[in-house]
Amino acid sequence: MSGVILAVDDSESIRQMVRHTLEHAGYSVVQAADGVAALDYAKLRGADLVLTDINMPNLDGIALCKELRNLPHYKGVPILMLTTESEPDMKVLGKQAGATGWLVKPFNPSQLLATLARVL
Amino acid sequence: MNESNDNHEAASVCTPEQETALLLELCEAQIDSALRDSDRSVEVLTNVFLQLIAAVDTLGEMAKKIAPPGQVPDGSTTQSAMQSGTATSVEPAAEITERCGNLTEQIDSAVVAFQFYDKLTQRLDHVRHSLTTLALFVCDRERAQNGDHWNKLRTSLRRLYRTADERKVFERVAGQVHVGESTAQESYAAQGSVELF
Repeated sequence: MSGVILAVDDSESIRQMVRHTLEHAGYSVVQAADGVAALDYAKLRGADLVLTDINMPNLDGIALCKELRNLPHYKGVPILMLTTESEPDMKVLGKQAGATGWLVKPFNPSQLLATLARVL
Repeated sequence: MNESNDNHEAASVCTPEQETALLLELCEAQIDSALRDSDRSVEVLTNVFLQLIAAVDTLGEMAKKIAPPGQVPDGSTTQSAMQSGTATSVEPAAEITERCGNLTEQIDSAVVAFQFYDKLTQRLDHVRHSLTTLALFVCDRERAQNGDHWNKLRTSLRRLYRTADERKVFERVAGQVHVGESTAQESYAAQGSVELF
């Protein structure tokens, strides 16, 4: 597996688990602690996929998704929401914001990798 | 008069509502303090866990170099290994490879379990927010004496609890006023699920 994954989560432990899982599978991982940091990165550089939490300070995952879709080089990039939220209303918001899919935490490493392989 | 008596006097002039708000604030402060302490420990634990995984990977790779897969010693290879003087390194290396493989399988389960802290902090944050909301509510005597306002408060708190487990607890304790809304069972079936749009 190869590609650059932008992993966004305000939880240090989740970022570390995501990084371990993805790097072990051969991906390169760029980490951001909130939506603002992720957007700052995205304005300057591309990624092959974005994996983002929803509840984060400064800029949440839904708003980040909308902002990314406004960047020409992120229009076709898969954006997966990785969140504890499972409410249908929130999923609708995610879909409307341009998300590609929805994964409910806790994630299983093999399941996460299989999902990435499907959308990349 | 000492400081303790001063505090007691200050507390005695509080209204019951103010006293309740103060005690709710105390609960919030305790949660906040406990989370800050836990953050530091979990960070250490996470780093050590990842270092252990890296060590297992390194050991596995080193062992494979000594006893590549497919050359795991059977009787004949052991004999030839003994003749060549490498028996003592090949057999333990094969065992290390096998044990590292078993550990790697278990690491996936540990990665899932490790995500408990994120969930815990999120849930406690919601509790903290509930306490703040409740403290403000009880201080407003007019609202606090109106049943409709209590129902509205419950509804707004219910919206706050968005994870499956939170909904489960909420609906068990206070969910009777929300008949007709989605059941908790629908929510917790979603845990770990993947949906592509």
